[in-house]
Amino acid sequence: MNEIRENPVLERIPVDGPCPRCGAEELRRYPVVSEGGWFQVVKCQSCLYSVDREPWSRLGPIQLLSDSL
Amino acid sequence: MTEPARLREISDDEFTAAYGSDRFTSAVILNRLRYAVEHMSTGFMREAFSPIIRDWYDFACTISGPPERGYPMAVVSNSLVVFLGTLGDAVRNAVEEYGPENLSPGDVLICNDPYRGGTHVNDVCFIRPVFAGGKIVTFVNMRAHQLDMGGTVPGGFSATKSNVYENGLVIPPVLLWSRDQPVRSTFSLIFDNTRWGGMLLPDFKSIHQQLKLGEQLVLENIERYGLDAYLGTLTYACDTSAERMRDAIALVPDGDYTGSALIDADGLDDTVDYTVRVTLRKRGQHIEVDLSGTSPQARTCINCGVLDAKTAVGVALTMLLDPEVPFTSGTWRTIDLATPPGTLVSSLPPDGGIMMFWEASGAVVSAIFDALNPVLGEKGVAGDYGSTNTHNASGVTAGGTPWTSATQCGGEHGPWGATKEGDGDSYTVLFFLNNLDPATETIEHDAPVVMLRKEHAIDTGGAGEFRGGAANLKDTLWLSAANHYLSPFRTKVPSGVGANGGKAGPNGAMWFFPPREGARELLGTSAEVYAGSIPVAGVLDPDSKAPDPEGVYHYFASRPVWRTEPGTVLRCLTNGGGGWGDPLARDPQRVLADVRNAYVSVEGAARDYGVVVVGDPHHDPEGLRIDEQATAELRARR
Repeated sequence: MNEIRENPVLERIPVDGPCPRCGAEELRRYPVVSEGGWFQVVKCQSCLYSVDREPWSRLGPIQLLSDSL
Repeated sequence: MTEPARLREISDDEFTAAYGSDRFTSAVILNRLRYAVEHMSTGFMREAFSPIIRDWYDFACTISGPPERGYPMAVVSNSLVVFLGTLGDAVRNAVEEYGPENLSPGDVLICNDPYRGGTHVNDVCFIRPVFAGGKIVTFVNMRAHQLDMGGTVPGGFSATKSNVYENGLVIPPVLLWSRDQPVRSTFSLIFDNTRWGGMLLPDFKSIHQQLKLGEQLVLENIERYGLDAYLGTLTYACDTSAERMRDAIALVPDGDYTGSALIDADGLDDTVDYTVRVTLRKRGQHIEVDLSGTSPQARTCINCGVLDAKTAVGVALTMLLDPEVPFTSGTWRTIDLATPPGTLVSSLPPDGGIMMFWEASGAVVSAIFDALNPVLGEKGVAGDYGSTNTHNASGVTAGGTPWTSATQCGGEHGPWGATKEGDGDSYTVLFFLNNLDPATETIEHDAPVVMLRKEHAIDTGGAGEFRGGAANLKDTLWLSAANHYLSPFRTKVPSGVGANGGKAGPNGAMWFFPPREGARELLGTSAEVYAGSIPVAGVLDPDSKAPDPEGVYHYFASRPVWRTEPGTVLRCLTNGGGGWGDPLARDPQRVLADVRNAYVSVEGAARDYGVVVVGDPHHDPEGLRIDEQATAELRARR
């Protein structure tokens, strides 16, 4: 019996406002991994300009139970 | 967003203000640090007891900066790239969790959790803080593959494990040495949960000494050049990578590019294949790599973690855009990886087990090649053999001695694709591994096996103006009964894709040949030979059992453990490397040399290259010649 599973897609949450660099109204908030680890970014989907870029959880979406100690 | 000043263009005063020393001194310090990691590597290589260290070079060394600078990984050894790519994040994650304030001079912090630091549980990170003036100024690090980390499969290399509990011992950040005294509880934790601790112990001791050596060499630099110059050099090294990668990215036309790569199956059953899908969005000096649409995490441990996917992105872009970019944290400065959690290449614990991580992250490399090769034209790079087709076996000799053979007798080594620079190499490791090849004498000494063949297979390099590397054909005769774990993952569609008009290399397969009379004689290589085989993996003709792209897929884990009788022969044929450029543009003299050297048959020369070679390559190789007129006529008809 084949198990049907959807292929995951990254959720990009819309953010109001224009891109300060190219003016496109296509800002989205989502996590990325880059130099320095995980970040929550608000990026223009047209020109990739990062309007905001804050360090995120150390392991991204993985939460350690021991972090709750 | 202001672009940073170019390193070549800033004044000497600006350089000194930014990096704490003049350009010349920074270059000297950087070279001395590169010497340090190579010196650590050489020392470990010389002393290691584990075959996988000694014969495979399955370790790497790095130097990272201090916490307040974000732990920049500035210096890496010339070795296993999948280790290097993840070590920057591994050091940061392990030290931050443990608490840098809890570390003291002489400590060695370890961690092997794939989700915290990448790769798999066998790869233990050893992290030593270096103190100067009472505070941590750097970390010297080594990641080394341990021959066993517990779990249900000896040695661990298997796609059959279902979750992190079956996979092996997970070590969070803990001290193995405290102020240069061994922490007995940590050693016991490891020895009580892993096999072959007697081999691990001396390697641990050697690693401890190499880390002390690295610490000493770092401190000598700080003493000679000053702390500001030392720390500035770490920043300079990362800035250099970032600038070169920015320049390389800028040469790619802006656009959105998509690619994919397929993994045949996991170790549970053959009902699900796994696709890595990638979308590269390139704007100016920035690239965002989105892995949305990739298959959900696998039901067995063929997954990799997101840090391995990040490494694969860095490797693929380095290889395609500028192979001279030094591999540091700065490589990723203008590259973002955006991936949904819970995919084959961003798996989550506890069900998304990670063992065969390089197979999944290798598919990320392939998918990026697939996406960018059409854009890059002549700068494109053809694909490699795609999977290490890993083989592990264990058993007991007739005399009662346990033995094991790990990653030596499958299709671990194979070809690369061709590039604009020339033909693909024919016997190396996957694009992002960079290991050694175990010696036949060592393999035969350590296990009851005879290496019958280890050779290039004819007509298996993808055709092109530059030919793909030849597939590797390996036959091993097993003298004792054995339990085999086999993990070939890329046999359904070619991994050795062509570039710039080159052709793909054909796919490989695996077979067992039951014991037979005259077992020490070589098996032939013609198609008729396979009729007597038991296929393990590959797409094969249903009657002859020879490779056939239109044939039937054989599932590698239809038997999770392949048990064989004494006298059985295992044959592993890797995929071929891809070709670059139009095959009809290949210099006929190169084709003649290929026929002379058995890379290409006389028939293949005519079929694939339009070159008519006359003569007998086996009995009169020096008498081979090109029929110029027939060649011109044949090529004109294409």
